[in-house]
Amino acid sequence: MEKYWNPVLETLPREQLQQLQLKKFQNILKWSYEHSPFYRSLYKDAGLEPGDIRTLDDIRKVPKTEKSMLREAQGKEPFPYGSILSVPIEQVTEYRQTSGTTGQPVYHPETWQDWEWSAESWAYALYAQGYRDYDRVFLPFGYSVNIAFWAGHYAAEKIGCEVVPGGVLNTEARILKMKEIKATAFMATPTYILGMADVAKKKLGIDLPKDLNIKKITSAGEPGACIPATKKRMEEMWGAKVYDQVGATEIGHWGYECQAQAGLHVLEAFHLVEIEDVETGASITEPGKRGSMVITTFDRFAHPCVRFDSKDIVEWSPIERCECGRTFRLLKGGVVGRADDITKVKGVLLAPTAIEEVVRDIPELGDEYEVVVIKKGDIDDITLKVEISPAFKHDASTVEQKLAQQLRLKTGLRYSLEFHDYGTLPRYDVKAKRFKDLRAKE
Amino acid sequence: MVKDYKVGDMAEKIKVLKETATELKRVSGGIQAVDRNVDRILASIKMLEINISDLVDIGIEHREG
Repeated sequence: MEKYWNPVLETLPREQLQQLQLKKFQNILKWSYEHSPFYRSLYKDAGLEPGDIRTLDDIRKVPKTEKSMLREAQGKEPFPYGSILSVPIEQVTEYRQTSGTTGQPVYHPETWQDWEWSAESWAYALYAQGYRDYDRVFLPFGYSVNIAFWAGHYAAEKIGCEVVPGGVLNTEARILKMKEIKATAFMATPTYILGMADVAKKKLGIDLPKDLNIKKITSAGEPGACIPATKKRMEEMWGAKVYDQVGATEIGHWGYECQAQAGLHVLEAFHLVEIEDVETGASITEPGKRGSMVITTFDRFAHPCVRFDSKDIVEWSPIERCECGRTFRLLKGGVVGRADDITKVKGVLLAPTAIEEVVRDIPELGDEYEVVVIKKGDIDDITLKVEISPAFKHDASTVEQKLAQQLRLKTGLRYSLEFHDYGTLPRYDVKAKRFKDLRAKE
Repeated sequence: MVKDYKVGDMAEKIKVLKETATELKRVSGGIQAVDRNVDRILASIKMLEINISDLVDIGIEHREG
């Protein structure tokens, strides 16, 4: 069996890889300039023409983009994707969206070709993690509007695996189905990987390493597999190898662990990753210093992603070449944090501002609130404390219903709600600390 | 055993595939069952270009591995 999905590309010497990246950057820049009103305007305002980029160093002249700009652009025509859309809307065949927990969701269009690209990029990762055509792969996620593991499904098919969708089943049914069909691999968030193990043991009395046949697990959607203690716990509970994988709706899948588990490979034939000092913006090219990731996606044309400031905190690995033989550069410890205060809860990106927006949009509630995130066992638990205005105290259950519904709608999460008497939550004069993440972090 | 990957030769075959698919769409008379399936074939051909043909553009005709 072949060791690589693409032995030519994955072992390309660094110099040639960089040549390829420059050419692909020039292509996507030109495409974006010529086909997207958003990018054309951005570059014209900066006095930049695509032909100005002749070297990798020149790339830093290209203005960065960030999520707020994508949101603003999608308010324009054509609905719903706005002025970043770079193909005729008739060519769009798939709709995706971000979770919207940092505000308004960003809608993401895929042409059939771009969707092939997504599956192709995941295929590189899954193949590196040992997925082969003899694997029976179970997908225990809710197949919905968010990208989640959709591309993982199609990539596993592309590799030749037998794919079993476990969409609407509950956790117990999913575990029993994996047991019944002798699944050899699955993909999930680390929270859910641990949560399933807990249910298997406590509710079903199943000894996972002994009773199931899972050999490898792809962990994505939140940090976990890059945190050594969490990885160890997951691997021990399941008796399987757990591999980290990262991506985002706007960017696509861009990083993965291989079987050597020596860090996160950047899929450099599909992306250009730059790391910048968070304070100075200076380029970080050497190991030993963390910075914020700016990323460009190549060959994905409907909704281009050029120099996107992802706010992910990353660090180059000192390992020059992974023992797997791939020349794609490694990041030490995966994504180690976020440049802003956005955090992931139950696999969903959550910004305290999104909660605030909900709370303060309900007139029956007071201004103050407090969010506390803890771990109950291996599952994230989020409590929202609010104050109900005295005039509405008699109708607390209606307010509670409304609050729960809005939170679910705007943040995609369920909360334990606590109603406090008006004026009893802490007040702040400066630098309010309303968001308390009490989960232990290694 | 060291393999010799003939990147240039593969890129030539990919080019022929693309030309054939494009020509098929041109002569389809607008039959949707042809055009839409050709679109899918062309999407797969693009993946072959990313995997192989784009390397020829940076001067790689063959590689040992």
